[in-house]
Amino acid sequence: MADQAPGAPESGPARLPDLDQVDILIGVPSFNNARTIGRVVQAIDAGLAKYFPGLRSVLVNSDGGSTDGTTDIVRKASADLDAFLLDHRAAGFRKLVTPYAGLPGKGSAFRAIFQIARELGAKACAVVDADLRSITPEWIELLVKPVLDEGYDYVAPYYMRHKYDGTITNTIVYPLTRALYGKRIRQPIGGDFGFSGRLASFYLEKDVWQTDVARFGIDVWMTTTAVANGFSLCQAFLGAKIHDAKDPGTDLSAMLHQVVRSVFDLMEEYAGKWCAIAGSESVATFGFVYSVGLEPIHVNLERMMEMFRLGVKDLEPFYKTFLPEDILAFLRDLASRTDRDRFIYEDEAWVRTVLSFALAYHAKRASREHIIKSLTPLYLGKVASFVIESWTSDSEAVENRLEELCLSFEKEKGFLIERWDGKA
Amino acid sequence: MKNLIDKVIVEPLREVVRNFLDFLPHLLTGIVVFAIGLLIAWLVKTLVIRIIRLLKLDASLARAGLPEALQKLAVRDTPAKLIGRTFYWLIAFIFFVLALRVMKVPVIDQLLERLLLYLPNVFVALIILIIGMLLGNFLGRAALIASVNAGVKMSSLVSRGVKGLIMVFALVMAFEQLGIGRQTMLAAFTIAFGGLVLALALAFGLGGRDRARDFLDKKFKKESPPGGPPDDLQHL
Repeated sequence: MADQAPGAPESGPARLPDLDQVDILIGVPSFNNARTIGRVVQAIDAGLAKYFPGLRSVLVNSDGGSTDGTTDIVRKASADLDAFLLDHRAAGFRKLVTPYAGLPGKGSAFRAIFQIARELGAKACAVVDADLRSITPEWIELLVKPVLDEGYDYVAPYYMRHKYDGTITNTIVYPLTRALYGKRIRQPIGGDFGFSGRLASFYLEKDVWQTDVARFGIDVWMTTTAVANGFSLCQAFLGAKIHDAKDPGTDLSAMLHQVVRSVFDLMEEYAGKWCAIAGSESVATFGFVYSVGLEPIHVNLERMMEMFRLGVKDLEPFYKTFLPEDILAFLRDLASRTDRDRFIYEDEAWVRTVLSFALAYHAKRASREHIIKSLTPLYLGKVASFVIESWTSDSEAVENRLEELCLSFEKEKGFLIERWDGKA
Repeated sequence: MKNLIDKVIVEPLREVVRNFLDFLPHLLTGIVVFAIGLLIAWLVKTLVIRIIRLLKLDASLARAGLPEALQKLAVRDTPAKLIGRTFYWLIAFIFFVLALRVMKVPVIDQLLERLLLYLPNVFVALIILIIGMLLGNFLGRAALIASVNAGVKMSSLVSRGVKGLIMVFALVMAFEQLGIGRQTMLAAFTIAFGGLVLALALAFGLGGRDRARDFLDKKFKKESPPGGPPDDLQHL
């Protein structure tokens, strides 16, 4: 194995002194991930050795200036292939550790990876998060093979998660992107993707690297760009997704703002495309799908409902400037329900709420940041309602319930289209 | 006797009539100038409103929260109408001054000169007030949303506090610009603001001692917050 750590370039790709062309490139963006990145690198090493032994491959660690020894761990980490492979090649896997240039953020790290992929003429690429605890060598096969063998340009991840994990994805991002672009990509902001060298070059051509995409929102941007521009795509079932523990102080409002803003901004860019799409279709899924257990988790329902009530009470004058009167009446009614079993945020009302926020954002009815941040209490109301509804449900029942929500979004798309150009 | 009557009554009367007849053309010119001014003011108002609507500046001003602020001041006009009306009265006032000048009355001339010298201060003070109103509205709403998202039960109070504070700042600055009670305003503001900060510090120190301790413990000791463990929900 070889590892190089070229200096940070002002712009353009890192210098690649000993590397020529490669077939596969695996990118790992990182920032202070010393606790987990060693295992991620080992899984990549093992995955490449096991599933792509005859191909030239490289791991690119695009680091944001870690101070906890992340890059040293990447350089040193390797899988003990003798321990689990009967036969494996001895060389061919190389590592490149490079700091990225540009705005600090995951998007800039991805840009460096795309640049190196183009420079090395990589046929297939994959990116995986550095804080993964559940990554296995099979992830590499599942993310890369559909590109190499089946000719897909984009492989979205499909994880099996706890029914209460990924609530922003489940209640907003998945149903909305599915209704808009007509493809049932279950985890559009999954974080781990496979893509072709052709698509990497296409991403690089886009003039977004000095915008918020460079800082956050890269996940949904990659997915939407691939879908809206007609690249062939599929999903790969990767099993469970377990992250390193996140900082519990992470602000939900800021998180929601980043994600929803990215989705709304993309709606602006691709309005001409999604307006012409009706319904949705499933995409090919690779991997053996199974379900995971439903161990009980702590959910502070009362707090979520209280936040919802507080939001409806105090933000109503602001909501009045862009929410339809029937939705406002519904919110007032829901906020007044003290019986927990009656606290149900109906799908139709939720869909209209989200779409009204999108319309207000589009029409700049108020400060865009204020519009999105004021969605937080209503989102918590929907999550509380969802938890109440699905408390005794298993994974399959929850998926069926989400399917109903998605269909509501698809059904209400006309409401959005009619009002998008300001006619209604 | 006749001479006396001529001297005391007829001559002054003639003088008055002569003066009035001398002044009459000036008066008529002044009236005509003012009437033309009103017509021009009306035309400018209509034009300004149309331009604002054409450039969709109404939406931009709505984003800044101007209509809400105006409604609270009992102004029912849209921002476009309000700006148009401001132009109308500004032009009308300019032509009114012009009309008075045309009439050539020395006392009015002197008064006008002093008034015209003072006018820029009024204009700047008005701009300060408008900016204060917009900024107060924007930051008040930002504070409201942030407080609600942080679960603060007195969110409206926080919002009103922020908005009020900015308005008071703007008001003090406007009075400062107009030169009205400069020292008094400054002293009153300093005392009121200092008193407010002291009151808040005392209120927080005495009433929220435990909460302050919890907050600092949470920040620096990394202990779990009171009221049970946080959600295990993963939002992303």
